Amino acid sequence: MAEFLAGCTPTLTHWLILTSALFSIGLYGMLTRRNAVGVLMSLELCLNAAAVNFVLFNRYLAPTAQGGAERLDGAVMTIFVIAVAAAEVVVGMAIFVAMYAERRTVDVTRLDALKD
Amino acid sequence: MAPLSFILTHAWLIPAIPLLSFLLVGLVLRNVSQRLAGAFGTLAVATSAGLSWLLAWDFLHLVPHGQPLPSLVPWSLEWLHFQDNFAIHIGTLLDPISVMLLVVVTTVSTLVHIYSTGYMHGEPGYARYFAFLNLFTFSMLGLVLAPNLVQMYVCWELVGASSFFLIGFYFEKPSAVSASKKAFIVTRFADLGFLLGILVIGFYAFQIYGGMKPELLNGQQPLDFAFLTRPDVLASLAGLDVHFLGVGVLTLSAVLIYTGGAGKSAMFPLHIWLPDAMEGPTPVSALIHAATMVVAGVYLVARCFPIFATSGEALTVVMCIGAFTSLFAAVIGCTQDDIKRVLAFSTLSQLGYMMFALGVASFAHPLGYSASMFHLFTHAFFKALLFLGAGSVIHAVHSNDIWHMGGLRKHMPFTHGLFLIATLAIAGIYPLAGFFSKDEILAAALHSGHTVVFGVGLLVAGMTAFYMFRIYFVTFWGEPKSEHAHHAHESPWIMLAPMAFLGVLSAVAGFIPIPEWVQLPGAPVEHEGIDLAVAIPSTILALCGIGLAWLLYGGSRERVDALVLKLGGFYTAARNKFYFDELYLFVTHSVIFRFVAQPIAWFDRNIVDGAVNLSGWFTRTAGLLLGKLQTGQVQTYASWLVSGAIAVVVVLWGVLKSGGN
Amino acid sequence: MLASAIPTLIFYLLAAISLTLAWSVVTGRRILRAAVSLMGVLGASAGLYLLLDSPFLAGVQVLVYVGGIVVLLVFAVMLTRTTELLEDHPTRLRQIVGSAVATGFFLLSYFMMTSDVFASRTLSALPKNDVAAIGRALLDTGEHGYALPFEVVSLLLLAAMIGGIVIARKPTALAKSEVPHG
Repeated sequence: MAEFLAGCTPTLTHWLILTSALFSIGLYGMLTRRNAVGVLMSLELCLNAAAVNFVLFNRYLAPTAQGGAERLDGAVMTIFVIAVAAAEVVVGMAIFVAMYAERRTVDVTRLDALKD
Repeated sequence: MAPLSFILTHAWLIPAIPLLSFLLVGLVLRNVSQRLAGAFGTLAVATSAGLSWLLAWDFLHLVPHGQPLPSLVPWSLEWLHFQDNFAIHIGTLLDPISVMLLVVVTTVSTLVHIYSTGYMHGEPGYARYFAFLNLFTFSMLGLVLAPNLVQMYVCWELVGASSFFLIGFYFEKPSAVSASKKAFIVTRFADLGFLLGILVIGFYAFQIYGGMKPELLNGQQPLDFAFLTRPDVLASLAGLDVHFLGVGVLTLSAVLIYTGGAGKSAMFPLHIWLPDAMEGPTPVSALIHAATMVVAGVYLVARCFPIFATSGEALTVVMCIGAFTSLFAAVIGCTQDDIKRVLAFSTLSQLGYMMFALGVASFAHPLGYSASMFHLFTHAFFKALLFLGAGSVIHAVHSNDIWHMGGLRKHMPFTHGLFLIATLAIAGIYPLAGFFSKDEILAAALHSGHTVVFGVGLLVAGMTAFYMFRIYFVTFWGEPKSEHAHHAHESPWIMLAPMAFLGVLSAVAGFIPIPEWVQLPGAPVEHEGIDLAVAIPSTILALCGIGLAWLLYGGSRERVDALVLKLGGFYTAARNKFYFDELYLFVTHSVIFRFVAQPIAWFDRNIVDGAVNLSGWFTRTAGLLLGKLQTGQVQTYASWLVSGAIAVVVVLWGVLKSGGN
Repeated sequence: MLASAIPTLIFYLLAAISLTLAWSVVTGRRILRAAVSLMGVLGASAGLYLLLDSPFLAGVQVLVYVGGIVVLLVFAVMLTRTTELLEDHPTRLRQIVGSAVATGFFLLSYFMMTSDVFASRTLSALPKNDVAAIGRALLDTGEHGYALPFEVVSLLLLAAMIGGIVIARKPTALAKSEVPHG
């Protein structure tokens, strides 16, 4: 068992397949969800997958300085992503509340003002 | 030669004033005040007339007495520049015939304008009428002054168009609409010949022109009349060894150009439009279909006379058709009951006179040329007067039929007197205008050796007197034959004044020495005065005609009816204008429509339109399908966005991989 | 042997949990349940960060994402009163299109990742001091510093906060009279 698991030690490729699978699921939700909040949640899935990717690449690919400081750009980016996600959810939520007040619905399939 | 005066160098003002007035009346004044529009249009044409008289005076004093008058182009402007030695100018050509016609057109036009202010009073479309009259005057003056074939052709079409507008002035009347269409289509058909003629002669003239030494060009252009009528150019054109159906270039182009002239001047067999054109208001008939536009064809042949004379055969065509039309129309004129139609056939007959006068002329016997122009000049006045008189009568009786009139002599003394003057003038009674010009024409025919034509001319002179006095007696003598004729009133002075002026002109125009002034360039002719060998028989024939008319129509109708019975079929045929309208209808309807137009129409409707509709349908369907993509659903858009992004990445990846390998 | 096997086991466990929960996020008919699933996915991601030797990021993930953002989303659900409603399933066409696009994306990235570019990479050296290093990087104004983006993000957060309040508040009578409807 242990030997089998040792043979299956996740490489970068395994990690990437996991994150792209998460991203694809988020994409599917984004395109099919009817509730606007659901769409936003799916979007969060995508963002989260991307954020994991940043750390991942940082961990596997960042050059280690010879005797110098470690580079942590990926980690910093993840923090930014989380911050931007927070901002986005705030604005999105505000829009949904206003939309609900105006239209009594948050079903995105019934919003087709773009057609006009 | 004396220096040119202001008006000679600015002759373009004469057509420009009616044009401006047309624009102003048609676009602005029409909506402001009807009376003002009429007065303004009349004033504009009167100004042009004044300038024309001034111009004629200055033109006649350019050279000392006795010398031939010059032909000059004091003003011209490059209009179309095709290549370095081929450009079309617009300009003003001043020579004896253009100045003469300038005076005739502006004078008659002014008088008709004044007459119309009374005649058309209270008509709907009063201002529109004056706008179109102004447009016509402009076009006709532009035609008269044209120094080249192209300007003439443009103005030629413009007069055709304004004639169309004016014939169809009462466009709520179906007969007026069809008459205007008929006039336009027939003349337009003839103009096709004119255009072809211009192209043929223009092509070969350009070849000669290009081969000429620059010092021989004299600053002229290939389509200028001055170039086309030069003896050396004509000699080269006649010498060209190019033939079409066995006809030389010069003759071909001359005959084609004559086709245009024949259409406008309603020569047989294109005469059918002129009688119908009488559907227009009577003053329009007086101006356009008697005095000015219809003589454009005669003017065109006179303008191109050296071409015709050099060709010879073309001139024979002109002569034969002219003489035949003259006789043919006179026969029909004897049988018509509509006063305006009789006048229309009389116009046809007189136009035939002018045409055959040109036809008998040549460089050896140039008298016919002068005589034709002289007759054009006098005819304009007395025929306009006849039409205005007829208009006055129609105004009073409310009918065109001479058998509804009668006895108007007592009710309308002034109209009667003036009509009589004009009738005597057209009949050729000394000393009225028609006598002199007719005498010249007959003398020209006799002295150039065309005896048959001379005989026809004499016969027509007698018939003219007969049918003119026929309508004169039926209209003004005898008993009133309708209720309206009983209560007819004299027309207002605003209509009588222009008629009186024309009456004076009809009486004295014969003493104006037009033949002395208007002479074929390079072939001066001594004015012979009255040739008694011609004058006596023609006057006798005219008096016979008058006497016969008095005999038949002076009293009751019984004698006429007896005569009609004797003539039988011939009378019926003449009364029906020898069935030419029916013949044309048969040809156009049963032959052209059925076998040419209908298949073409089918092709157009099903194949051409089908292709157009198919492309339209395709575009519309594609648009509808593409429009379906525009659902307004954000998620649909996102699907497209992501699919597009994936496709781009796939393509880029493939390119990069293949590029890397 | 076992020491290296445990992280592997944890990875696959977390992967299974997050994929399952992610699926329930995008397909669940009850929106509140989807929110809870999302919370689980994000928590699993925090575990993944720990596996990647980034404990600080794992903490931020739990604090901000799970504790803040998801709670905000739940508020949104409550405020729009769609909690009790069962969401309709998407139409067949939308399902087909969505899965086609998502599958296409996944296949594309799968083939790109399994091509030889990334395959043979191994872990680089461990960062020495995670939190301190991130803090320095965020406030560094030098060559690899993120001081300016850091400030920009703080401004963005402020703007989002104010914007959210302005958009979501009830229109007052005054504002209604000022802005003509339509």
